[in-house]
Parts: sequence; structure tokens; C-alpha cells
Amino acid sequence: MKVNETSVHFAQASTSDRSPLQQHLYLLGIKLRLQRQNMGNFFQQLKRHPTALLGAIVVILYILMAIFAPLLVPHDPFTGILGNRILPPKWYEGGKPEYVLGCDELGRDLLSRIIYGARVSISVGLISVAVSTVIGVTTGIAAGYYRGWFDEIFSRFADLLLAFPFLIFALGVMVATGPGFWNLIFALCFKGWVEFFRLARGETLSEKTKEYVEAAKASGQGHLTIMLSEIMPNIIHSVIVLGTLRMGSLIITEASLSFLGLGVGTRIPAWGSMISSGRQYMMNAWWISTLPGMALLLLVLSINLLGEGLRDILDPRLKID
Amino acid sequence: MDRKWQLAVALVLITALFGGVLGGCGPADGVEEEEAKTLIVGLAQSVLTLDPAMHRDRTSETVIRNMFDGLVTRTPSMDIVPEIAESYTQLSPTEWEFKIREGITFHNGDPLTADDVEFTFMRILTEGAVDGQSSPRKGLLGSLLKVEKTDDYTVLFTFEEPWPIFLRMLPHQQIVPKNYIEEHGSEYFAENPVGAGPFKLVSAALDEEIVMERFDDYYGGSPEIPPVGPAHVDTAIFQIIPETSTRIAALQAGDVHIISNVPTHMVDQLEADPNIAVKTCTGTNFFSVSLDMEVYEPFKDVRVRKALNHAVDVDEIIATVMDGLAIRCPGPCIPGSFGYNDAITGYDYDLEKAKELLAEAGYPNGEGLSFVLDTQDAHKDTAEAIAQYIEETGIDVSVRVWDWGVLKPLLDEGGERAAVFSSWGNSTMEPHDLFEPKFVSKLDDVLGRGNYSRYSNPEFDELFFETTVLIDDNERIANYKKLQEILFEDAPVIFVYTPMVVEACSTQVERWEPSPDGRINLHRVGLKE
Amino acid sequence: MRLARILERILVAIPVMLGVAIVVFFFMRLSPGDPVDLMMGEAGSVSPREMEALAREFRLDEPLHMQLYHFLTDLLRGDLGNSFVKRKPVARLVREHLPATIELAFGALIISLVIAIPIGIISAVKQHSILDRVSMAGAFLGISMPAFWMGIVLILVFSVFWHVFPSHGRLPFAVGLKTITGFYTIDSILTGNWSALASTLKHLFLPSLTLGAGTAATVARMTRSSMLEVLRQDYIVLARAKGLTEYAVVVKHALRNALIPTVTIVALQIGTFLGGNMIVETVFGWPGLGRLVVDAIQRRDFPLVQGAVIVYALTFVAANLLADIIYTFVNPKIEL
Repeated sequence: MKVNETSVHFAQASTSDRSPLQQHLYLLGIKLRLQRQNMGNFFQQLKRHPTALLGAIVVILYILMAIFAPLLVPHDPFTGILGNRILPPKWYEGGKPEYVLGCDELGRDLLSRIIYGARVSISVGLISVAVSTVIGVTTGIAAGYYRGWFDEIFSRFADLLLAFPFLIFALGVMVATGPGFWNLIFALCFKGWVEFFRLARGETLSEKTKEYVEAAKASGQGHLTIMLSEIMPNIIHSVIVLGTLRMGSLIITEASLSFLGLGVGTRIPAWGSMISSGRQYMMNAWWISTLPGMALLLLVLSINLLGEGLRDILDPRLKID
Repeated sequence: MDRKWQLAVALVLITALFGGVLGGCGPADGVEEEEAKTLIVGLAQSVLTLDPAMHRDRTSETVIRNMFDGLVTRTPSMDIVPEIAESYTQLSPTEWEFKIREGITFHNGDPLTADDVEFTFMRILTEGAVDGQSSPRKGLLGSLLKVEKTDDYTVLFTFEEPWPIFLRMLPHQQIVPKNYIEEHGSEYFAENPVGAGPFKLVSAALDEEIVMERFDDYYGGSPEIPPVGPAHVDTAIFQIIPETSTRIAALQAGDVHIISNVPTHMVDQLEADPNIAVKTCTGTNFFSVSLDMEVYEPFKDVRVRKALNHAVDVDEIIATVMDGLAIRCPGPCIPGSFGYNDAITGYDYDLEKAKELLAEAGYPNGEGLSFVLDTQDAHKDTAEAIAQYIEETGIDVSVRVWDWGVLKPLLDEGGERAAVFSSWGNSTMEPHDLFEPKFVSKLDDVLGRGNYSRYSNPEFDELFFETTVLIDDNERIANYKKLQEILFEDAPVIFVYTPMVVEACSTQVERWEPSPDGRINLHRVGLKE
Repeated sequence: MRLARILERILVAIPVMLGVAIVVFFFMRLSPGDPVDLMMGEAGSVSPREMEALAREFRLDEPLHMQLYHFLTDLLRGDLGNSFVKRKPVARLVREHLPATIELAFGALIISLVIAIPIGIISAVKQHSILDRVSMAGAFLGISMPAFWMGIVLILVFSVFWHVFPSHGRLPFAVGLKTITGFYTIDSILTGNWSALASTLKHLFLPSLTLGAGTAATVARMTRSSMLEVLRQDYIVLARAKGLTEYAVVVKHALRNALIPTVTIVALQIGTFLGGNMIVETVFGWPGLGRLVVDAIQRRDFPLVQGAVIVYALTFVAANLLADIIYTFVNPKIEL
């Protein structure tokens, strides 16, 4: 499995509050330290990052494709005609013009399935990142703010989960719960929240010592208010960057689990299972696996470039003067 | 303290953490120089063990049977012929006498006698006989009570009750050396196996490759399967290549000579390669869609079950999804089985008839019927195709792919499921071996172990148990034909197909044919040039 | 760095490891699926007595808390138990498979460095240029596709069409390598078997590339960022002011400092490589721990899964500690 590990590793590096490695990265300014920025400035910055802008556009197009999939598909993506089994794309000899990208191993229109597949892949990415973020950031801020037993319990639990290889963990959860979309999300989030927890906790620890928090305390604001309206806005940018980068790897994980025989497991087309079940046909019908693979590649690459751009833009230390 | 020194100590500490794990890594066996003729086989699965008594796994058996011989063996056409045994006679319904061929030696030079045969079987029958562990192969010996030597080259098998399929089950057991195992223990034996087969072990990394060399003092194998004599290649290697695409690539790149489990859609392309030959033969896996009558109420109605059989065009599925490389099972047996009833021609594909039957049963246009068809990843293409056909009747079907380990308990205990498309092994080609787990009423964990339809017909059960103890083949055939008719009429499953065994080899390979039980025997195989 | 601090870190890891052991225990026991039933497979001729005997032998007939008790007491004695399916001590199975996995991890590490460091440097020196954008986007390619798909494409291109690299396995038997450590690269050097070394490296290349490509992006990004930071330091500005060539500035002055965080992040990647390679191992028929554990999960071979996960976790903790130690060593200012 391939994962975007950089930001994760800042958090993983040590069981202590901040390992030397983290400190170093912190000093280097690579650690995600993000300031509140106004949004107008943000869009101007984005324009200066052509790859990130391109990534953003592609991601938006994909989301639109997923939303309007039922209107876009030329054929039924679920049922095929067995006679069209491994039909080549239309530009090949033997291809049929109405099946632009050809058909898969059960004679289903590949283009329609790729369009529909965007739904699963994008939902897997968005939902699992959203759930992981909410759980991770909530517990992370609370742990960093209150410290004490709450912090201790969650931090140890996080260490424990981190020591599990992610794919074995996801595989185990899928085996235990069975196939299905929501089980997949559950498997991904079960460990996914940890990175957000570590990030939010670490950020909170450093923000807590800052003057504005002290000032808020002095002015008599409650803990909850301080956490929500003072600390949260100051760490949310780094969470967004991490979230973007994680989304790509979670989408890839869906494909990896399909390869190991435990994907979404239903008739709903999902890119991961399409690439995985089509891989056997690579030598005589490359399109069945390669075209969904391209679709996935483009999406994940765009998400990563967007995430990378966000990191550059939102991290003030890396700006050129 | 000096920083460098501290670092050194720290690194030693870390290394110590691994010490216990890494100490003395890797296979210790030495390997030898390259030999003249080396045959390499690419297998799809890992070998679990090299001890013939300690597995229930076809791949392991394939490798083991190149190093170990049994009392009897199967010809490529699935007939039973003597191997280590010279002859055998049935003394009574429950007693069999085997004469052992004289002059056979194990790889270590020990002669093979009746003692070794007795030891082999008692090691499986006796609980905890393998260094305190029990063999999982006991069930393959039916009601066998004991095996006794009557003289140095004669053994007597005694059963609790008649067991007509004994001979057909016997090729699954291989003879092991008594003295060697008693001297070294079973754990050592599994690492350094010694058999009486055509090849002896050189080195084994069970998830990587198993290297064997020709056993020059081999007695020659079964005289019924020529050519008799030592193996033709000097070295035989089984390599484990789990990923199908990689296995095929390895054959095309010339890295291996024979590969197992070739996907059917690759056949045309492989055949177009002048250096590759594809070989097929009938398989022994019975595929069907079990319709669970207890869990899903509408399946209780035989008209619904028949309608589903009429709704699925099995021939078309074979022609497309299986690329023609499967044989339709019109009824509950694999064509060519013992006592096969060829009067049963199957349910025709007839959508109108299916709709009529559904309407009669109270489900016009499939209204009110909606179920999930479960299957494993490996069989999902056919399952999808079956579901597509069933949907034509108006029934709402969806396919769900499971990890088998999760699905199996659901199949046994019921729960949220209705139909399952699955395979059942029938390597003996005896209806007994298929009917007992698949169609006999579920009485305990074992009878009806694969009866995912929860089919229960007292008439069927009675006749089945009557047949179990019959010795006369004609009576058995008559009864089996009757049993097949009952099952066909009751249609507890959608009868589907048996896939053919598809394997491929380089054109350099001589005298190699796949066998129906998927076993790859290299004894007679040669290499050109 | 103080030894006491390292010892403390190791001690802290113990409860974490124990927690991992307990979690994996319940994970396996509570998943559906009966190991004995799965072992018998889809075949007839199974006797109930036989299944009971096996369940008893595997201690599956005992209540869960007793099973846990046996597992933990055995574990504390250093005994990982016997594999249900392979009928061998788990410790031995792990020991036999770990070298292949570690060798692959190091291969991947080296390849990711070879790809990523030049990209990182060029991107930093030419920051915001087209070259920077394109090469960084290129570094992301590896991370953006499923490893199994990339592996199959590589096999098709390099083994089937071009016959440059072997399609699978670690080393052909014919090369005749005497194994000593289980690391074939080291063994071939120790025995002076150069053809075995060449063959080992050839076999290592495609799987390492598949595994390493995923990390290249991480390493490239790290190199770029730290290089950018270093290039802005006073001493570099000074060096430039003295009129040194750009090459001298970058390679002689900046690179050395810039690589420090890269090296440390790379040490951390070892943990990722070890835990993430079951897919690469399956595709390339690589006989490592990852394939073993995936197979064991599917067969519900409880002791083998437990043992393998514990070893993985141990490796992960150790790799993190190692990264920090190396780091403090190169940066004397920071305490562990």
C-alpha cells in the first residue's frame, strides 16, 4: 500500500509529546504551521500554483461527474450483454461504435462503469476523511487541551493502532465485518482518525501556550469556547492539508483491499474492484483494468497535487518573498 | 560520554530487539549446482507442509505426490490402478487385503514393507500420533478401524461398516517410512521428508520454491501407466506464483515450463504463442447455486426453484464467461461420475416457462421476490451472469462477494442470506462423496456440511444411506441413478457446471497431461533438447 | 542522547506491544470463520470426531479467557505457538520469511532515494519553474496508483515484452546460492557468488521499484522543502555573495545539511515498507512475511496472524526509535 506518510510521520515519530525529529522539522518550518488567512488572498495564491489549480479543477470535474453519473452514462452500468464480453474500445478492430471504451468481462459498458465508479471512489475518500477528521480533531484538541488521563488513554490507544500495519488492520476489519460500502468506511476510519488526532493534539499543545489563548482565558471564556473559537481556527488549515493528502491514499486503499478480495463487494461499480478483477485480462484486454486505473490515477494525482499546493500556500514559511 | 560510543550502544540495543526474531534466519538447507534438465512448475498457492498426513490441501498434495507414492493411484482417465500395492482383494464387505510390491526402497535406502503401510495409516487414524498433533486426513479414510500387517508384504484393512468408495479415496494417502519417522520425529520428517516416490527433496521453502531431484533407485511407478522407470528430468522445481497475471507472464517469459490455474480467457492468446501449449481436461468441482429453503421462504416452493433453473442459460454462460471451458452439469452429478444418469438432460433455458412457474407459485413477473446471491471473489463473474439471467424474470437479485471464511459460518447457521453460488470438490467422481455433504439432511456438523440449501427429503436420505453400504456395483449404479432423479425433480440448487482444468506448458515439455483432480505428476514428464 | 532515555522509550513500548497482542487476539477470535472447518475445505469425507480432535488440539474448545491466558503466558515465555495450517512453530515461519521482507524494504528504500533526491534538489533550486512543477508532479505518480496494478504493468513491460528483468521470485535455484543469513544480497557477497548477487539484484529491482515509487513523493517533497530552507540560510547567501558557482553552492554547501531530515524521514519509512508490502509480495511471488500473513488471515490461522502482527509492530516501534536516534546523532543540539 502506498500512503502519503510525511505529515503522518511528524505525528508518529515518537511516543513522547514531540520527538526530536518533529522538533527539527518544526524548526525547519516544514511542520504545518498555518495562520489564518483571508480567502481572497488564498485564491490569488492558488493561481500561482498551476499544478494545484489544475488539480482543483480536475477534482471538481470528477465530483460533478459522480453527482450527475445517472445522466451521463450511455448504457446500464450494472447489467451487460454477455455477447459483448471483453469487447474492445471502438477504435479497435471489432469494437462497436456505441461502446466507446469497450466492455468488461461480463459485457458491461466500460465507460458507463467508469463514470459510475467515481461515486464509490469519491464517497470512500470524502466520507472516510470526514469521519476520521471529526473524530480525530475533536479528541485531539480535547487531549491536547486538558491533558491528564483523557490524553493518556487516547495517546496510548493511538500508539497501539499505529503499530498495526494499516493494510493488515483494514483487512482484518473487513474480514470481521464482511464486505459492503459502510464496512469499508468503518475499516478505513478505524485507524484513519489516529493521524488527525496526533496532528490536532500536537498543534493544540503548541497553540495553548500562545498569548491569545492566555488572553482568552483571562477574559473569562469557557474551555469549550476557547477550544472551538480560538484554537480550532488556528489548526484547521493543517487539518485540511492532511485531509486532502490522506484522501488520495484512502481511495487507493479501497483498490488494494479489492485486490486482496475484500472490496465493496457488491454490484456497484467501484474503480478499485474494476482494476482488480480486470487485471487478469491485462494481456488480452488491457482496457478493462487500465482505463479505470487511469481514471483513478488522474483523480488521486489531482488530489495529491491540490494537497501539495495547499501545503505550499498555507504554510507561510515556504513562500517566496 | 562520547557521542559515537553512545550511538554504537544504542544501535546494539536496537539490534538486540530484533535478535530473537532474526537469529539464524533463513532456510538452512544447502542447495546444489545446476543440473542438466530442470523442469519448473508455477503453482498458484503455497505448499502448507510436506508431511503427507498433515494437510487437507490439493496444492500440497500435488507436490507431496511427486515425492511419495500411494498404495494405488489414478490414471489420467481416473481409473484406479495399483502403485506400491501389487494387488488387492476384498475379502469381505469390511475387509481388504493388499499385497505390497517387493523391492521398493525409500529415498534413504530403507526397504518399504508392510510395517510402513500399517504405520502410515495408524498414524492418521490415531489421535495425536504425529508428535502430539492429530492428522486432519482421518475423514478421508471413512470408517476404517485398523490396518494390520499379516506378513512382511501383506496388510489387512478392516472397516467398521462397508465403505464402497474406499479404493477411489485411497490415492489420497501416501506411504511414509516408519523407522525414519520413529527415529527422527515428525517435525524433522516434515522438514526432511523421505518417501518412495520418483523425486527426492533437495530444498524446500514452502512459500517460494520446492526443489526435488530424480530418485535413481525408484521402482518405476505403476506398471499400468507407462513409461515405467525413473523420472525423466534430473531436477523438478515447484515455484509458488500466487498472482495469475504473473504466473502467465512467467510462462511467456520462459521462466517456468508448466503453470496451473490458467484463466479460460487467456487460452486463445496462449495457444497463439508457438512456444506454449494449453492442455485441458475435465474437472471435478461441482458448481451450483444453493437455494436456502429455511432462510428464504419462497424457495420452499419447488416451482420457484424450477423456475430459477429454467431462467438461467447455462450453455450461454459456459460459452461466454467460461470461454467454452466448462461442462454443463444438467443434474446433481458431474458428467462421467460413477453411476452418472445420462437420462437427465437438464432444465432447458426457457424464460417463458420460468415466468409461468413463478406466476403459478404466486409471483407473477417475479413480484415479491428479492434476494441476494452470495459468492466468493473467484467465482463472481459467473454469479453476476446468473444474476443477470434471473433478473430477466423480474426477480430482484443482487450479487455480494464475501471472504469465504466469513460466508461459511453464515451458510452453516443461516442468517441474512438466501442463495449462494459455490463449488464443491468431488475428486473421487463418486456421487456418494458429493451427495453426503451437499444433499443429505443436516444432521450434525458433518453430514450435510455443504448442504447450503438446507434440503431435507426423507425419501432421498433413506435411499442414500441404503446405498452407502451396498457393495454390488450394479445395485449402486441403479440407486445412484434414482437418487439423481429425485434431486433433479426437487431442484434444491440451480445446476450449473464443472469447470475444466486448464493448464499450460512450454512446447519443450513432453508427456504431460493435466489430471482431473488438478494434480501435476512429473514422474513421466520430459524436456526436449 | 542519553542511554537512559532510550531505555525509557523501550520500556514505554512494552505495554503498547502487549496491547497490540491483545487486540490482534480478539480481532481474530471474534471474526467469523472456523479455522478447522476452513481447513477441511469444500470437500466431503470429514468426520466429526476428527474436527473435534483438531479443535481440541488448537485449544479452540476452551473459553475465550482461557485461550487468551494461554496465549499471553506463552507469549511472555517467548513462544508464539504453532501455526494451525502449516503445523510449524510460528517463530520459525516468521524467521524464515522476514529476511525476504526486509531485503525488499531496503531495496525499495534505495530506489525511492535514487528517484526522489535528484527531483527534490532540482525542484528546490528551480523553485516555481516548470521543471519544479513537472518533476514534483512526476514524483506523485507512484503514490497515485494501486501498487498491484503498477506491478503487473512493470512485469508485462520488463519481463514479458523486453525480457530485461525476471517476472517473479527471489533467486532461481540454478544459481546455487548457499544461504547463511537469509538475505540473499549479503549471502552472495559473503560466499563470493557474484552471479547470485547479480541475479538477486535483478529479482529485487521490479518489486523494489513498485514499493519504492510510492514513497518517492514523500522523500522528494521532504528534500525539496529542506533544501529550500537551507538555501535561504545566511551562510548560503554568503557563499553566493562570495561568487561561488551555483553548483558549488548547492552540492558542496547546501546538500549536506539539507539531507539530514531526508535521511531521518527515510528511516521512518522502513516501518511503512515492512507493513505495506503484502501486495507487492503477492504480485511478484515474493516469499515474505506480508504474503504469509494475508494467507493466514484468510485461513484464520490465528497463531500465525498474531505472531506476524506482533513482529510487525515490534519492527515499527524499533524503526521509529532508530530514526530518532540517528536524528539526535546528526543533530547534537537536540535531546531525545
